[in-house]
Amino acid sequence: MSEAADLKSRVQELIDTTINPAVAGHGGYVELIDVQDNRVYLQMGGGCQGCGAADITLKSGIERLIKEELPEVTEVLDTTDHSSGTNPYYTAGKS
Amino acid sequence: MGGTRLLLLLPTRTYRTEDFIDAARTLGVDLVCASEKPSTLEDLAPDSLLTLDFADPAAAAARAAEWSAERPLAAVVGVDDITAPVAAVIAERLHLRASAPAAVDATRDKYQMRQCLAAGGVPVPRFRRIALDEAPLRASRGVEYPCVLKPLALSASRGVIRANNADQFIAAFERIRALLQRDDVTVAGDAARYLLAEEYVPGLEVALEGLLTAGELTTLALFDKPDPLEGPFFEETIYVTPSRLPPAVQNTLRAATAAGCSALGLTEGPVHAELRLNDDGPWVLEVAARSIGGLCSRTLRFGTGMTLEEIILRHALGWPIATLERERRAAGVMMIPIPRAGRLDGMRGVEEARSVPAVEDVVISAHKGQTLVPLPEGWQYLGFIFARGETPAEVEDALRIAHARLAFEID
Repeated sequence: MSEAADLKSRVQELIDTTINPAVAGHGGYVELIDVQDNRVYLQMGGGCQGCGAADITLKSGIERLIKEELPEVTEVLDTTDHSSGTNPYYTAGKS
Repeated sequence: MGGTRLLLLLPTRTYRTEDFIDAARTLGVDLVCASEKPSTLEDLAPDSLLTLDFADPAAAAARAAEWSAERPLAAVVGVDDITAPVAAVIAERLHLRASAPAAVDATRDKYQMRQCLAAGGVPVPRFRRIALDEAPLRASRGVEYPCVLKPLALSASRGVIRANNADQFIAAFERIRALLQRDDVTVAGDAARYLLAEEYVPGLEVALEGLLTAGELTTLALFDKPDPLEGPFFEETIYVTPSRLPPAVQNTLRAATAAGCSALGLTEGPVHAELRLNDDGPWVLEVAARSIGGLCSRTLRFGTGMTLEEIILRHALGWPIATLERERRAAGVMMIPIPRAGRLDGMRGVEEARSVPAVEDVVISAHKGQTLVPLPEGWQYLGFIFARGETPAEVEDALRIAHARLAFEID
């Protein structure tokens, strides 16, 4: 297995065993799209898609976890079309 | 500058999350996000996710102090009206840069704010606080019309209603009382027991975005609001900067805002002020200890492209800021209003709106299937249109043309 394929496999395992069971608590899920040049491309679905807190989940949760477990990952990028989310867990608005 | 830890207070429903997180990422700080509800990943990432009770600033500060004992914080920033007072209390406890909690608290209670401003000699409308358990007919006695009724603590024109006579006063009073009972309204204390009735001030309305440093106000942008705001509700739509008002008039608006900040005791961080202007000069309607709301800050660029959020975070961290000079070009935003109540079934024309010359982007923040509630009860927009051009007039025209190309299907 190439290094890139191996990294992709380990990211997928982390998503399957740690991240998705957690975000499922808000009806969400995370899908691995690709790993290129040590950058991880994800899509968020379910309650995460369009959620007002999706960026918090991604940057302070998912990215932190992935980088801690897999230090060779340089960046985690969200490719989700959040405007198409139809059931976000939190909907943004004025305070 | 890695290793510098910054605490951002981000309510789960704020529009401001993405822009502040992007700014933190640009600065390369070690970001900690706190919300009022637990993140699903908090147990797995306890060094970067935190739950704080924003309704109880003292408890939030105690929790933040406990949390930071082994993870020292260099700055704390609240991103909106709800979190600004919490950030101030945390900052005071941890000796970080912010305005005093009492000053920030005063901005969160419109009655207290009016009192402070009036005491400081700042022109404000005549005002009166009225208990919500009072009979509205009785409360209407002695009121001069037209007047404006508003909740003490909600923002972005929510619950703000003009009344031209006693019947309208009573209707507005009942409507605000019902609004404060809604599940999506979380107010407590005086904000749940009173409303404010104040003189209606005719005139143009502007918004001033500023940054306070050691009590000195720097104006970051002055926005014109070209759509008349005369009631019965006060829906904010278009903001365009730079202002087309004469420079001397702009100076009076800046001076009134600075006087307002001083009267309130605000000394550090972002401020967003709303003012009216008529033959009697400027009137300060609001001074909030936060930056502009929604996604509107995307209109602002400073120096070589620095965002407003980056300026705010740099200020909180005490880091140098190359310039506070806004770009030369005109810029504007339209907060797309919700035209009527219902369920959003679909939208058309987004690409056509984006193709209007000078329009930079159209962001639809409402989602298909969302229940839409217009003002005065509502608290959301359909989305935002952004434009940038050579003149304010060009920007305003582009925003209006783009908006006309959008169609929302509301069931």
